[in-house]
Amino acid sequence: MINYIDGSEIKITENDGIFVDVQFYGSDEKLIGLEPHRLFPRSGGNKYVALLNSEGEQLAIIRDTANLMPESRKVIESALEEYYMIPRITRFIEMTEKFKIWMWTAETDHGVIKFEIRNHMTAVKPLYDGRVLIIDANDNRYEIPDYRKLDKRSRKMLEPKL
Amino acid sequence: MCELINGIFPEKFREEYDRVFKAEKPLFTVVGDLAIKGGYSDSAVCVTKEKIYAFDESFTEHVFSIGIKDIKKTKVKRMYGNAIFFAETVDGKKIRLMRFTFASANVADAASDFINAVVEEGYSDELIYAVENTYEKQRSFCPKCGRKLQSPNAECLNCKGKGKMFTKFAKYALPYKTKLIICMLLSVFTTGMALIPPYITGYMVDKVLPSGQSSMLIRMILVLLGVYILQYTVSAYRAYLLRLTGDKIVLGLKKDIYEKAQYLPMSFYDKTSTGSVINRVNSDTAVIQNFVMKLTQEAVVQLFTLVGILVIMICLNWKLTLFSLVPIPLVVMIGRLFGKKIGPRYMRIWRRSTAISTLLADTVPGIRVVKAFTNEKSVVKKFDAYCDAWLEEDTSVAKISGIFPQLMTFLVTCGTLIIWFSGGSFIISGADGFSVGLLVSFVSYASMFYTPINFFANLNDVYQNTLASAEKILDILDAEPEHDFGKNTNTERIEGKIEFRNVNFSFDRSKKVLSNINLTIEPGDIVGIVGTTGSGKSTLINLIMRYYDDYEGEILIDGKNLREIDMSYYRSQIGFVQQEPMMFKDTVFNNIAYGTPNAHVEQVLRAADVANAHGFISRLPDSYDTMLGERGIGVSGGEKQRISIARAVMKNPSILIFDEATAAVDSETEHLIQEAIERLIRGRTTLMIAHRLSTLRNANKIVVVDKGEIIECGTPQELMALKGKYYKLIQIQSMGEKLQAKKKEENFE
Repeated sequence: MINYIDGSEIKITENDGIFVDVQFYGSDEKLIGLEPHRLFPRSGGNKYVALLNSEGEQLAIIRDTANLMPESRKVIESALEEYYMIPRITRFIEMTEKFKIWMWTAETDHGVIKFEIRNHMTAVKPLYDGRVLIIDANDNRYEIPDYRKLDKRSRKMLEPKL
Repeated sequence: MCELINGIFPEKFREEYDRVFKAEKPLFTVVGDLAIKGGYSDSAVCVTKEKIYAFDESFTEHVFSIGIKDIKKTKVKRMYGNAIFFAETVDGKKIRLMRFTFASANVADAASDFINAVVEEGYSDELIYAVENTYEKQRSFCPKCGRKLQSPNAECLNCKGKGKMFTKFAKYALPYKTKLIICMLLSVFTTGMALIPPYITGYMVDKVLPSGQSSMLIRMILVLLGVYILQYTVSAYRAYLLRLTGDKIVLGLKKDIYEKAQYLPMSFYDKTSTGSVINRVNSDTAVIQNFVMKLTQEAVVQLFTLVGILVIMICLNWKLTLFSLVPIPLVVMIGRLFGKKIGPRYMRIWRRSTAISTLLADTVPGIRVVKAFTNEKSVVKKFDAYCDAWLEEDTSVAKISGIFPQLMTFLVTCGTLIIWFSGGSFIISGADGFSVGLLVSFVSYASMFYTPINFFANLNDVYQNTLASAEKILDILDAEPEHDFGKNTNTERIEGKIEFRNVNFSFDRSKKVLSNINLTIEPGDIVGIVGTTGSGKSTLINLIMRYYDDYEGEILIDGKNLREIDMSYYRSQIGFVQQEPMMFKDTVFNNIAYGTPNAHVEQVLRAADVANAHGFISRLPDSYDTMLGERGIGVSGGEKQRISIARAVMKNPSILIFDEATAAVDSETEHLIQEAIERLIRGRTTLMIAHRLSTLRNANKIVVVDKGEIIECGTPQELMALKGKYYKLIQIQSMGEKLQAKKKEENFE
């Protein structure tokens, strides 16, 4: 059976980077070194976050981190932030192509990055809500939250590949 | 030995690097691309025989060093889109050495394995060979442009230009060059014929009509008739010849794509949908065919027309010719603009139509599932949405391709107006050498002259469309096939010894599926592979089947590296029975004889008999001639399974692999299948994946796989004595079986 956590019944404290400690109110037992995992890393954001122990077994699922106590929420969200690196592309600086291998240079919320796209048919996945998911030649992931909101120049570069 | 490094050492740590490594250089360096605190930045880890140096901005003085003797172990923690290289010290502290994206994950893994091995057994040269191996794999750069290649020594796609693309396709046209040349010559002939009538018309207006000689008129008309008959007869023959040649060229291409697709590695199919492969063989070659026809048939005609008319027009009157050239820059400019606008849109249309074919390829064969889940409505809705998306793209293309050609035709018509005006003015003003006949033939030539220009402007549209398809096709033609380094190195017969040495494998870099697999299977062993779902059992089998080649470490068959054994020979020595056997749309007989062409009838009957399939097959009305549907419709799951076992029997394999062969059948059928399997495995190395541990009662070796690692390995008795995972699984299952038996008893009572 899945244990769901709705919010105020747990207290989450910092452990190390991607790990957190969890304590249920009214219980002395403290679960050490749990790893929060998004169940819907692409579509769900911080809704439905599983807590895994060091064996990888799931102990509970937090329905929405937004319902946690502010302190706990801060801790778990920073752990998730640390674990999931999906740079959000805010602007395209350059796309050069030579015989269908592309080098894209983009500005992201993690800084400027240059990456290689082998085949944009499989590497660029537009979703119907305007989001675009990109996987580069090294299996790194990037996301454009809404390509329609990019600046005109970036859109002009990207749109033919959608 | 040159320094092992997976990129360029970050310039910003150069000073620190020079300070640390004065005389001795590191054994190897891992260059990362993220700062430990997150965000893109340079970082590096250098490893020597005794120490590790990490370079990152977060360290004091940008460098941190630790002796390998102070380390308990190191680990690469893969996260989502990034990974961290940890070191755990002897006193239990965890230190982050470096953070990086998956670009450096493989070398970091190798570094971590190396350090852990040094911690455990001390430094030896052998350890560094393993690291070198990984770097070698990583280091497959194009020597010309520095771009990373798909594999070592692969041809760099970057360094061969678009010209090469045409050479690629020209290869298919080359065998038909004589026919193509004949067609071209016929084209020149018909073009020449087409140029005669306007001249005769001009002559008739100027000379014949004013002269009043009706015999002359009849003669001229007969000449015209002869010209027309000759022109159209030759044209018809040429069209027939060209169509045939075009079809043959494209058929060659189609066959090549299909053949190539058969030899592509599994990793290609993991990433590409079936629909898009089908689309490439069917629609994309049709687009190319259209282009080839246009190029060889029309383009040649039009080019000759263009040149011919231009020469005649200049001979007739160069001034008037200049006037008729006025609209050309505009026509060409608009043509280019058109191409620019429409090119990307064709790419998008292709993506949309592929989405539609993919959905079809999924749902039509999967109709049973769709119906079982009453999912018809949502499938229809999805299909509608895909079609609408396609229509949206198509509408924008339709607009552009509707407006542009008309605009150009309009401009061309304006061109004739210019000729009427200027030529007419010359005649009215009585300029020298100008006659009504000249003007009439000039106007006919001019309108003929714009047609090829219009054609070439429009050709761009077709060309863009073709380019999109050509790229798609080259995607398959240029994709690397499965490597067969050991081609033609047949051994007499594979004995069936299988060894895994330090094998690591991941489908993509984000998650390791198998790690550190070490396993020896002796010839004739019956090995049960046990583990929970997703533990890596099937991946292990996939590697033995050589579906994937890019693992680290070594797999040896009879002491020989698997990669160096002739692939088709090797696979012919393996009998593989899957959980859901694939039946081809063919007769039962041909399905059994699938891997064995020219099989003797009795051979097939014997195989069916060994597989316990003969009984039910002979009871079918059409017996061995029964046609099986696409997914084996008409026979039950257990029957299909027995047919697939018969298929394996036919090959007389040295190695047998059963992947959950009895998972999907009832216990009576299971018994029949089990019986067949037992008959079959005598004297052959056998690997069986099974959930129901009772099916493994013959196994003399059990391998327990968990989370991609082998956690237990030994005889069933040994493992039972160990009281580990296998013991636990046996306990759980026998408990379940007892409960079931009890329930049955109760029901009987």
